[in-house]
Amino acid sequence: MSVQTVTTTVTNPSMVTAAKTLTLGLSTGLGAIGPGVGVGYIMGKTIEAVARQPELRGELLSLTFLGLALTEAITFYALLMGFVAFFLA
Amino acid sequence: MTRARLRAAMLAASAGLLLVPAFAAAGTQFDPSTEFSLDRYLDLKFGPIDLSINKAVIYLLLTTAILCIGSVIIVRRGLKSRPGRGQNIVELAYEFAENQIGRVSLPASAFPTWFPYIATLFLFIAINNLISFVPLPISGQSGGLGISSLPDFGLYAATANINVTLALTIVTFLCTHIVGVRAHGAWGYLKTLEPDAPRAIKPVIFALELLSQLLRLVSLSVRLFANMLAGHLLIIMAAGFAVLVGSYVGLVAIPFALFFYVLEWVLVAGLQGFIFALLSGIYIGYAIEAPH
Repeated sequence: MSVQTVTTTVTNPSMVTAAKTLTLGLSTGLGAIGPGVGVGYIMGKTIEAVARQPELRGELLSLTFLGLALTEAITFYALLMGFVAFFLA
Repeated sequence: MTRARLRAAMLAASAGLLLVPAFAAAGTQFDPSTEFSLDRYLDLKFGPIDLSINKAVIYLLLTTAILCIGSVIIVRRGLKSRPGRGQNIVELAYEFAENQIGRVSLPASAFPTWFPYIATLFLFIAINNLISFVPLPISGQSGGLGISSLPDFGLYAATANINVTLALTIVTFLCTHIVGVRAHGAWGYLKTLEPDAPRAIKPVIFALELLSQLLRLVSLSVRLFANMLAGHLLIIMAAGFAVLVGSYVGLVAIPFALFFYVLEWVLVAGLQGFIFALLSGIYIGYAIEAPH
């Protein structure tokens, strides 16, 4: 018995636009879940630490900003893929 | 002028400047993707090397001019022990770069060699990001304000271009590995990347280590690029929301545009430069002596 493969290409333009728009929305939304949790965790830990030792506030603040920038970057990886799908495909 | 009045004037000016692109776009087609298209203003091709002047190059040259000419002027005025305003700003920037970036990331042996590179990286990226929020008459379309030959005022960030950020990342990447090889020798440098794992799965973890080193190229460049691109697109979309929706109801998005504008300018612009320089310093420092 031979196995037949059938390939189809989506050519309907409104379908393609719908798929691109859906990709953009989904990637932006889903990609923001993880970093949202992460940023909240970082800020919570910072507040706890400052409450324990208020004199370390300055140092902890710089570490907080470092951590915030690093976790925020993860949202942009997903957002970037959404942009690539929307504008470049 | 009191500080409160100055602040109110700056806020009103930013609101006005945000409305200019919105109303200018009302006359022509509003297509935010053309904001990031780069047409050549001056063709300078030398065979395979393309040094043409386009919008991004002009912004990069503007940053270089601000940094070089600004610092020369401030130093030539004479450095006094009771600093004036210009000298104060320069001292603040230097002290920030030395204590918060250099001393934190670079080991003491490599500090004199690599601190200039890290500080330059920080200042270059920070100033590039900061001037991207000043509306300059460098836009694709013209004629928005009634004068047909003057290009429209627009916001553009040179670092919102993956080529710029990738170039800076490649320089950091090369510096990291060249420094590592010079410090330990080629074979020794590979041995420092050897993971602490049971013998059976060592090759797997080592391959993962190499992969993560390569992925640093991606993460460092994309972090800066996507932050700037997304920030600017958000501002442009929010400011032009009235045009997108097609009625004056969309003007309700102008406060959102203003919020994003202030958030990006005050927080994200300088922070991204700081992060890039700090991570570059950490990578270079780890290549010399990994803190165990």
